[in-house]
Amino acid sequence: MFRTAAFTAARVARPAVASAVRVAGVARPAAFAQAVAVPKIAAFQAVRFYSAGGHLNKEEVFSRIAQVLSGFDKVNDPKNITETAHFANDLGLDSLDTVEVVMAIEEEFSIEIPDKDADQIHSVDKAVEYILSQPDAN
Amino acid sequence: MSTVARTGESAGKVLSLYRQLLRQGNQFSSYNFREYAKRRTRDAFRENKNVEDPRKVQELVQKGLQNLQMLKRQTVISQFYQQDRLVVEGGLSGKDNEGGKLRQKDTGWD
Repeated sequence: MFRTAAFTAARVARPAVASAVRVAGVARPAAFAQAVAVPKIAAFQAVRFYSAGGHLNKEEVFSRIAQVLSGFDKVNDPKNITETAHFANDLGLDSLDTVEVVMAIEEEFSIEIPDKDADQIHSVDKAVEYILSQPDAN
Repeated sequence: MSTVARTGESAGKVLSLYRQLLRQGNQFSSYNFREYAKRRTRDAFRENKNVEDPRKVQELVQKGLQNLQMLKRQTVISQFYQQDRLVVEGGLSGKDNEGGKLRQKDTGWD
């Protein structure tokens, strides 16, 4: 009875798994068929793919950028580092400092920002947005 | 820099040169040369940030471009003679403030 049920279940599952169950079922008592099949599926799920996407979320990106900025001694006041802070207007950085900050952010997320994109980054939210749009950033 | 920015066409060019010089200086394999190149670049741009005269600005940009060429040659040569990393280069990096991450750079040259 149990054996029949196991075979019916196996038949609707993927062919590879089904054949494994059948082989196991022939060689051993039916009770083991289930025991063999389950670890097989578990092992399959334990595989991690290198192609899996990164896990950068907005809060993490912001906190890491804020940390880069707080380590930058020319920022006028660490309290001014907010999600919408403008480098020049709110943080008191000049254009040379902005270049340095953008380069520090590049290093933090191990990417390279081309000149024309780097020129557009003038505030924290722009930087966060840019990092989130880069699949290579980590 | 703000004054250079006001002189028009060269603002973007100057910033781009600054970025290129810093990037190129970072390529030195020797710690001393690397830090010197970056420090010298920063100091030179700050020193001349109030230069108004367009001709003077152009002259300084030319000088920067020449130095960029020199950095390109020398960084390549520097990479032929790589040495082990210094103790000051490895070790802990980053700020150790409240809740901040303290990171370990890999020591030694791989």
